[in-house]
Amino acid sequence: MANIITVDHLSFEYNEKTPVFKDLSMAVKAGEWLAVIGQNGSGKSTLAKLIDGLLEFDTGTITVGGLILNYENLAAIRDQIGIVFQNPDNQFVGATVEEDVAFGLENRQVPREQMVKLVEKNLKLVNMWNFKDRIPASLSGGQKQRVAIAGILAVEPQIIILDEATSMLDPLGRQDIIQLIRQLKAERNLTVISITHDINEAALADRVLLLNQGEVVEETTPAQIFEETDKLTHYGLDTPFVVQLAQRLRDQNIPIPKQYMDEKELIQWLQTYNSTK
Amino acid sequence: MNNLILGRYLPGNSFIHQMSPQSKLLLTFYFVAIIFLANNVITYAILSVLIIAAILLSGISVSFFIKGIRPMIWLIIFTVILQILFSAGGKVLWHWGPFTITQLGLVNGGFVFVRFLLIIMISTVLTLTTSPLAIADGVQTILKPLKKVKFPVDTLALMLSIALRFVPTLMDEMTTIMNAQRSRGVDFGSGSLKQRIKTAVPLLIPLFTGAINHAEELSTAMEARGFTDSEHRSKYRVYHWQVKDTLTWVVFLLVGGLIFFVRK
Amino acid sequence: MAANIQFDQVSYTYQAGSPEAHEALSDVSLTISADSYTAIIGHTGSGKSTLIQHINALLKPTNGTVTVGDFTIDNQTTNKNLRPLRKQVGMVFQFPEKQLFEETVIKDIMFGPKNYGASDEEALQAGLKAMDLVGLPQKYQDTAPLDLSGGQMRRVAIAGVLAMQPEILILDEPTAGLDPRGHDEIMQLVQQLHEQQHMTIVVVTHQMDDVIQAADQVVVMSAGTVQKVGTPAQIFSDKKWVKQMQLTLPTSTAFAAKLKAAGFPLMDVPLGLDQLTMAITQTLRGDSHE
Repeated sequence: MANIITVDHLSFEYNEKTPVFKDLSMAVKAGEWLAVIGQNGSGKSTLAKLIDGLLEFDTGTITVGGLILNYENLAAIRDQIGIVFQNPDNQFVGATVEEDVAFGLENRQVPREQMVKLVEKNLKLVNMWNFKDRIPASLSGGQKQRVAIAGILAVEPQIIILDEATSMLDPLGRQDIIQLIRQLKAERNLTVISITHDINEAALADRVLLLNQGEVVEETTPAQIFEETDKLTHYGLDTPFVVQLAQRLRDQNIPIPKQYMDEKELIQWLQTYNSTK
Repeated sequence: MNNLILGRYLPGNSFIHQMSPQSKLLLTFYFVAIIFLANNVITYAILSVLIIAAILLSGISVSFFIKGIRPMIWLIIFTVILQILFSAGGKVLWHWGPFTITQLGLVNGGFVFVRFLLIIMISTVLTLTTSPLAIADGVQTILKPLKKVKFPVDTLALMLSIALRFVPTLMDEMTTIMNAQRSRGVDFGSGSLKQRIKTAVPLLIPLFTGAINHAEELSTAMEARGFTDSEHRSKYRVYHWQVKDTLTWVVFLLVGGLIFFVRK
Repeated sequence: MAANIQFDQVSYTYQAGSPEAHEALSDVSLTISADSYTAIIGHTGSGKSTLIQHINALLKPTNGTVTVGDFTIDNQTTNKNLRPLRKQVGMVFQFPEKQLFEETVIKDIMFGPKNYGASDEEALQAGLKAMDLVGLPQKYQDTAPLDLSGGQMRRVAIAGVLAMQPEILILDEPTAGLDPRGHDEIMQLVQQLHEQQHMTIVVVTHQMDDVIQAADQVVVMSAGTVQKVGTPAQIFSDKKWVKQMQLTLPTSTAFAAKLKAAGFPLMDVPLGLDQLTMAITQTLRGDSHE
């Protein structure tokens, strides 16, 4: 798979006292789901903003879809990336649901007749068409995030970045948004970057990038990193529930194999073990 | 305070709700102008019929409407009393010190009362049937010619639209902050002026910090969604001039002409 | 003296009398006993926040009465003389760091005690003690709150409530938006306040794993009414009903349900990792002994 995003020797600081990245290099493959994990303050949200050209960096190179990130390519790069931010309220620009979905299209001067069609199509896609006249104050956090996703899909980017997009939602809202993104990714072959400290969200990724204080600590598969429970704890992250359970059962002398199993696999293993005894 | 409906918007789908905001705005100005042409019982009666028709067509319950403008009545009555006491001319009915009540004064007072009432009623019909956002759009459309002299009409309209969208969010935040500080022993709205100013600090600082935070994150999100400037954009929200608008304009213009002929 | 909280047929209507009036609480009767740890759960908009705001009279019932120790709150209650009640009931709102306004950490924490008539010296002592309770090193006392991290700011805000030495502590989603470490720290703090300071704890939460770990009483709300009150085990035993209330199961309980559905025999409803481990081990060993 080709890289859709590459970050090379990037350095960035908000002010001289607190450098965020000193020499960061990483890459995102086209069509993959990459989880960027790390505790608050590790620089993961800053990375998203840098890739989208929302912050100016000091040295290094960022390439998105073959274009080098610079002033001339900025608009073209932003056409390829959609970001769902953390706070549902602070990205809702329109006065109503349909107008918010139209915002990105208005910015690109899409003619109105075409906008009307795109707004309808994308609101139906996220199941919010019945809410098209509603004002943001009358929506739940999860519904607002759905609208944000519709607004992003309307401009048809190749990459979607979830910048802690589910962290302010209740558990059902969270499941709902993740489910939606999984479905969209499969349908449209999107590249998804999910920036999160929710380990269960990270479990859905193809690849995990662990950041700590602006440095890549580890770049591997979820299965690999979930075996290193000490490392996760050390960097302020949770261990997935199934890993904790498997560990406890091993302590009880149940011969559960060492390698990572997801929920389905663990249930399958326990079931088989029990019936063959 | 809660009963006052001037400035409030009630969503709906009536004839008047469906009219375009720019024509509603202009019609309101036009109506206020012809009120000042009226000067006898017939002309006032014609305007009253027109406004009653407008209220009925707005689909808002008449009792709600009357209850809503009742708080304004005292202001009108106060003005009317001043008008009656200080206007001269005609037959003197009563006299005491600097105050005189004359026949003409009474008649004038009655007209002022009706005039005031009509203005309040038409403005209430406008705001009850037109969302603040639609009013902002109406203003934008009306001001459009000013773009020729480089007046930033579009930027202003976008700013206004975003500000209006954040009013409920900030109101919610204000309630929460007030409740949080009340729980820490602040007694809002009591004590001397100095104390009241002091209690405003723990409310206003968090409110401003919050608003700045919203603004920062919102501007990042807008930029990420491809926003560069407010002039080079297409517009999703449009209001078409409809048959309803033309019809209403015809009626209003006819009434204006009628008034012009039957006035003294 | 510890105080019980009693709701007696409480109803509350927002914007009573206007076309937009809506009833947020309807006929709620509920007892929260002193020294208990009560979790209030329910989907968004079920009336949880309205409920807790009655406990320190930020809202007054439209009908019915709320009793907190010696205080009675009903629709005749005025805003006068509420201070002793509000001092007794500490309230930590959602994202409480939003209420910080002073230039330094310690000044913000001292704000509450001073409003309740403490001298500067008393307030300072109470403030330092509160910083200690929430685990904020004293070197931060002269720092500007806005220079701290999100998790630290939240602890400052909680310290500001604790400095008033309340007997009852109410928290509305105290861990919202924190990372796992911040989450664990706050939950431990609340647990410790309950066990060591003997505070009555009322917490509104969406995190069912926290509920089973800490609460001894769970109140389930839906559409402005109390649907059920019970121990975590009682509440989560009926998983269909939990779903109907638009709630999630604790992770361990949900896993157990899936395991059972796959044909793995399990006893009881395991709450938490320990119980689940035990239940699975029992099944596996039980079978092997037969």
